[in-house]
Amino acid sequence: MKRSAANLILALLAAGAVFAVSFVISQRVGAKRMASTADDLDWLRQEFRLSDAELARVRELHEGYLPKCAEMCKQIAAKKGELEAALTGVTNVNSDAEQKLAELASLRAQCQAQMLRHFVEVSQAMAPEQGRRYLAEMQRITLGFHEQIEQSMSPSADHNHGHH
Amino acid sequence: MKESDFKSADEKLNGLLREARPAPSLPPRFQENVWRRIESADQRNASTTNVAWLDLVTGWMFRPKLALVTAAVLVLAGIGFGWNSGEQIARQDAQARYVAAVAPNPLR
Repeated sequence: MKRSAANLILALLAAGAVFAVSFVISQRVGAKRMASTADDLDWLRQEFRLSDAELARVRELHEGYLPKCAEMCKQIAAKKGELEAALTGVTNVNSDAEQKLAELASLRAQCQAQMLRHFVEVSQAMAPEQGRRYLAEMQRITLGFHEQIEQSMSPSADHNHGHH
Repeated sequence: MKESDFKSADEKLNGLLREARPAPSLPPRFQENVWRRIESADQRNASTTNVAWLDLVTGWMFRPKLALVTAAVLVLAGIGFGWNSGEQIARQDAQARYVAAVAPNPLR
């Protein structure tokens, strides 16, 4: 009885090990094969089934957008530095800090608007249905984070402000 | 000696033997103990049946052909599910790379 039960358990363990080993090896090979190139636009090409012409147009837009995005990020980083300097050593939010906050928010808004314009341009370089899907997906990814925060802080949310 | 003489001698001898070895009285709860032993013997038989069943299953599982087919099915299933999972991981990585390029963290 004991020997048969032990054999049965061993057989089940061996079966599990065979499955697990094949799963892990195949998963790694599959992931490596799919991620064979380091191209930023790989995901767009695969997910939105871009033709070569569409991909070339999207690449042109992408490469034109990146320097503008980097420039805006630099400005935002500089403004954050100014804000931190304005807040250093003070015990309340003075008018200078308030102005820096407003400027930082304005820069972020400009940067987001530029990003959304870029998404619209890219979506127009795709087939209409894929373009709509791309735009919706990018808005969900890039703006969804703020929506989650706002929803969690709204009065209808379960937890109360000021009780943290 | 005649045959009838032998018979009467046997009877006498048997009578003497019976007197020399009187039948002992039954121990207390004799009947109950007998039934208990019968029941435990039945239980032993049932567990032997379980062992036989388990032996049958393991014997069936370890038949070379079946073991080979099972191993092949498991390997194929592992490859299929693993490949699918790998593709999903790669897709998520590629998406994260694109999003990081066009929408740096300060904007999200």
